[in-house]
Amino acid sequence: MDLECTILKNDCLKGLYRRIVFDAPAIAREARPGQFVHVRITPMRDRILRRPFSISDADAEAGTLTLVYKIVGHGTEALAQMRPGERCTILGPLGKPYTLPPAGVRPVLVAGGYGSAATYLLAKRCPEKGALLLGARSDGDLILVEEYEKLGFEVRIATNDGSVGHRGFVTELLEGALTPECKDCFVYGCGPEPMLLALGKRSLELGAEAELSLDQHMCCGVGACFACVVKVCDDVSPDGWRYSRSCKEGPVYNAKEVYYG
Amino acid sequence: MADLRVDLGKIQLKNPVMTASGTFGYGAEYEEFFPVDKLGALVVKGIAPWPSHGNPTPRVAEVTSGMLNAIGLQGPGVDRFLHDEHYLPRLRRTGATTIVNIWGKKIEDYCEVASRLDAESDGIAALEINVSCPNVKEGGIAFGTDPVMMGKVVSAVRRATNLPLITKLSPNVTKIADFAKAAEDAGSDMVSLINTIPAMAIDIESIRPKIANVTGGFSGPAIKPIAVRMVYEAAHAVRIPVIGMGGIMTGEDAVEFLLAGAKAVAVGTAIFADPMAPLKVIDGINAYLERKGFHSVSEIIGLFGKEQGANGLRSR
Repeated sequence: MDLECTILKNDCLKGLYRRIVFDAPAIAREARPGQFVHVRITPMRDRILRRPFSISDADAEAGTLTLVYKIVGHGTEALAQMRPGERCTILGPLGKPYTLPPAGVRPVLVAGGYGSAATYLLAKRCPEKGALLLGARSDGDLILVEEYEKLGFEVRIATNDGSVGHRGFVTELLEGALTPECKDCFVYGCGPEPMLLALGKRSLELGAEAELSLDQHMCCGVGACFACVVKVCDDVSPDGWRYSRSCKEGPVYNAKEVYYG
Repeated sequence: MADLRVDLGKIQLKNPVMTASGTFGYGAEYEEFFPVDKLGALVVKGIAPWPSHGNPTPRVAEVTSGMLNAIGLQGPGVDRFLHDEHYLPRLRRTGATTIVNIWGKKIEDYCEVASRLDAESDGIAALEINVSCPNVKEGGIAFGTDPVMMGKVVSAVRRATNLPLITKLSPNVTKIADFAKAAEDAGSDMVSLINTIPAMAIDIESIRPKIANVTGGFSGPAIKPIAVRMVYEAAHAVRIPVIGMGGIMTGEDAVEFLLAGAKAVAVGTAIFADPMAPLKVIDGINAYLERKGFHSVSEIIGLFGKEQGANGLRSR
């Protein structure tokens, strides 16, 4: 679906972080946690490519689609300038979603930076609430903490500079958040690639089921251009891996599929 | 509705709009957007004798009015292309006019792919010889920037297949007419141009290249004037049909190529911005023809040269 959608809200969340809400009933109805949309930011005349955004929230009843973004470049600068009533063309929902945890299984979400934006819909849809392990550079980069707490998630924080919570990497919080019997836990990751690879490896070592949201610079968003590929294990390939299109076969991969070599 | 059919000699198209190789996957990716047999032709991503990983990531970077890519011809190889459900078998069922782009590291590789495809050519309308990819270390552009080498590749492939042949030309040459002529002389039935332009971009914060391959191919609306000039020069140098591409975003852009002498056009990068772009280009061409009172697209092919005198400069 490629649809013209009207902006309902486009507000500052904190610092350079923004939350944009679209009137997009058709997309909201189908959106599943971990999927993304590919947005053509209308005011950009000399920048032709779309921008992919993880779906942060989708309300089928209200018909709204919520994205959280950080102003980092031309696309997000232009998006931040847009006002309610203006429209963007949105393609989606795209990509493979997270698997919801079965009943009785504790979700442990591990988010780096604004990865917590992408796991929010997952947290909402998990039948049982668990923990969010949130890692960021510093206090100013921690977003959506209260929203997760409102959902009943226990939030544990790690910052690189120690300004809040544990000083160090968020992956260092993993063991403490898992039950001794890891089989009762499902780990979900979203964030920078080095964090995700560390998380995937550690989860496998501990015997916990894990899914990671991996991607790369994206172009078409539908599997045609082979820009956004990530390495996955492949027994048929003589190298033991192949490049997989994260927009189509991902962005969510089981930790067992990911190639760590 | 104007008559949009075009005659490319050995192949006839229902309209002059094709998709450029590498921008439309293998067709299946866009079936949910529109029936792919609405296209004049669909050109699949490059096929080599072997499966290929392609380049490391990042593979693309956006630049002003365009993009750079160095995908590096990731692909399934000819075996899987012929027999895996996702590729040719599926395309056959769509009824789309399918053109297969082929590449290799050595001349024999091109011939191997061509003869394999020739042996199971049901559903293949033509082959496009890629002698112009800027993103692979061997083959590709290395063949396409020397007219003698290019001629050798084309004539070898000519001997390997009876399928109609299109030679895809690189813009990275001083005189495009010589290359169009070399392709024609070597037995190519058509030429297509332009492939992307070798280019690069640097992230000034990290002081690193914006794509892992350092250099990549530049495409998008920024390159269109270069492409129009080269299509114009090529169309005046050869008798075989010229397929024009490079930065076509709209029907008006496509018309410019047709006026310059292209008998068909290809839409590429525009598809990334809008999956429906190829159909919008078809509609846009028709709207132009109707607005100007032309009954068929063939009336405007090469009209610019004719209207303006042989040098095309008279009324500038």
